[in-house]
Amino acid sequence: MNFSFDVIWHNLPYMLAAARWTLLISLGGMAISLVWGVFVCAARISSGAVLSRLAALYISFFRGVPLLVQLLLFYYMLPYVGLDLPAIAAAILAVGLCSAAYSAEILRGALQTIPRGQTEAADALGIPTFSLWRRILIPQAIRIGLPSLVNELILLVKVSSLASVVGIGELTRISQNITGETYRPLEIYVAAAVIYFLINLVISLLGRLAEKRLQVA
Amino acid sequence: MEFDLFLRYGPALLTGFGVTILCWLVGSFGGLVLGFVLACLYRYGPAPLRWVIYAYVEVIRGTPFMIQLFILYYGGPHFGLLLSPIQAGILSFIVYGSPYFSEIFRSGFNAVPHGQVEAARCVGLSEGRILRRIILPQMLVPITAPLTNFFIILTKETAILSVVTVPELLYETQTMAAETFTFVEPFLVLSLFYWLMVIGTSWVGAKAEARVTRHLRKA
Amino acid sequence: MDETPKDQPIIRISGLCKYFDDFEALRDITLDVNRSEVLCLIGPSGSGKSTLLRCLNFLEAYDGGEVYLEGDLIGWRSAREAPRRPLSSEKLRRQRQHIGMVFQQFNLWPHMTALENVAEALMHVKGLSKSEATTKARAALAKVNLSDKEKNYPANLSGGQQQRVAIARAIAMEPSVMLFDEPTSALDPELVGEVLSVMKEMANEGMTMVVVTHEMGFAAHVADRVAFLEEGRLVACSPPSEIFGREPDDPRVRAFLKTYRERNVV
Ligand SMILES: Nc1ncnc2c1ncn2[C@@H]1O[C@H](COP(=O)(O)OP(=O)(O)OP(=O)(O)O)[C@@H](O)[C@H]1O
Ligand SMILES: [Mg+2]
Repeated sequence: MNFSFDVIWHNLPYMLAAARWTLLISLGGMAISLVWGVFVCAARISSGAVLSRLAALYISFFRGVPLLVQLLLFYYMLPYVGLDLPAIAAAILAVGLCSAAYSAEILRGALQTIPRGQTEAADALGIPTFSLWRRILIPQAIRIGLPSLVNELILLVKVSSLASVVGIGELTRISQNITGETYRPLEIYVAAAVIYFLINLVISLLGRLAEKRLQVA
Repeated sequence: MEFDLFLRYGPALLTGFGVTILCWLVGSFGGLVLGFVLACLYRYGPAPLRWVIYAYVEVIRGTPFMIQLFILYYGGPHFGLLLSPIQAGILSFIVYGSPYFSEIFRSGFNAVPHGQVEAARCVGLSEGRILRRIILPQMLVPITAPLTNFFIILTKETAILSVVTVPELLYETQTMAAETFTFVEPFLVLSLFYWLMVIGTSWVGAKAEARVTRHLRKA
Repeated sequence: MDETPKDQPIIRISGLCKYFDDFEALRDITLDVNRSEVLCLIGPSGSGKSTLLRCLNFLEAYDGGEVYLEGDLIGWRSAREAPRRPLSSEKLRRQRQHIGMVFQQFNLWPHMTALENVAEALMHVKGLSKSEATTKARAALAKVNLSDKEKNYPANLSGGQQQRVAIARAIAMEPSVMLFDEPTSALDPELVGEVLSVMKEMANEGMTMVVVTHEMGFAAHVADRVAFLEEGRLVACSPPSEIFGREPDDPRVRAFLKTYRERNVV
């Protein structure tokens, strides 16, 4: 066995370029996840029985079916029903919609730790529900749930590798392609693992920094 | 819906389900055992070993399962490890799950009040016995729920094994979809199978939790 | 372990020192405990009472000085080595069998019934068969008046009952010394009495006991001697009549007991 750093060195530029797609999928997915997650969460804890039931169903579907299956369904089903999205958009959407189910639960858990008195105080002041959510509840929920949300983002970086299955040229896919040309799977995949690891390391460091910042505030 | 489709593909889907269950069970329990060993080494081992385990946990948790699978399956032959898809799948499953399990066990260790261990030392119980009779049964109380949860997460990760042509459920489903040009039926069946696994695991988990918290119930 | 002559102290503590990093928790403690004696340790919070007690069975490794139980050095292979090496865990376990300990927080094993808590070490340390262990455990539970609760899990016992099971667990091993660390401090006032009366009975039967306590009444009436600790030092050690007498010699003891006097406990 000879581990050739040359192979890695020569292909590193391509892999780093592909890592940008990895980041795009995970960050885009996270953005959808957060925004949509707020709505799912609001629906889940709303007093409307039907709405709440629907949100619960949404959450259990997206958490209960493998993401790879969701991705394939999105990729094959959307054209089937006449929606012609570019593959990358389908991937971001699938990842985001799935992750929203988790974000919604994280936010719900965080909301439960916010004292009820705050809502009552806002009600007493006549603050409308929408403002209450936008200006009081959501900012706090995100702050409380931050560690879990950072974890979720790290998870998204990892699951973005699944997008390789539907042909998107992110890091895993490009690594497969390079392997096909060089016949050096060990070097290339180890290099890919290192890149993933470093991305996640940076995210968790940034997350910890953000946590500190928010604590002081 | 065409039911003769199911007649034709039923056996293949069922075999796929069987392979999924096999990989999941062997892989998860392997990961559980390895995770427990890691947690024990972390607790009782010397400092350098702890750093190694810490690094292992962080690296495995920081990289995608698919990449780990590729390193083992495609990279394996380069260091003399020639594996069939199923072998590679199960082995990478064990590796992938072990750090999560070890973190769960580590938190379990920390949840057992130190005073109980001291009391055991005072009456002269050996460290091995303390681990087996005092610490383990007690740490099962807080960790049964997270263990169940992680087993459920792992049911879904098995789908990734289809990428290296392990003939598991998703692989068979895709075959059926491609050969029959249907989507709804095969994926409905697939969802049903995963759902069964999740329900079954939750049920076992709830039973296990009732068992390990037996002594806490007020008479 | 050799039987020391009856008139020799059963525990000898000489020049005992204990540090937590730079903090000196015990300084040069020298103290003997005689056979069948009840010695109470009192003193302000943080004075080192628990630490002293825990050095006696090596739950804390002391740094300097020596602790002997019936002539055996506790915990270390030799007092003269530098650095000192601890005994093998096997030997340490054998020493600890002779020293029973009862904790403030009971520390019963919650997943075992009262009987199982008592029988565990009988079977797996003393090597008794299950039926022998059960018989002995039942006898120990009877001593603390808990025969009817042997099947209860700790969650279904009151604090006082739990503490009595903990005492039974310790005495079932037939130790030569019993250590108590504030055995009644975690109990509701109405449950204190039942534990103290069990302890009194043990004292009457001739058990050697070292008791850290804030129960001045117990110290005054049951103890043979009372040792007063302050900031890690042994300030006084005399019969209770002297410590609790109208005017103790030492001003620090006087100041400490003043608060108790005001509450009319002694
Ligand atoms: N594990 C430890 N690490 C560092 N310091 C400790 C440790 N255990 C005890 N100490 C310190 O040693 C001193 C003596 O503690 P100890 O528990 O013996 O006091 P105590 O007399 O039992 O007090 P109390 O009546 O509150 O139980 C205290 O100042 C305590 O902070
Ligand atoms: Mg104390």
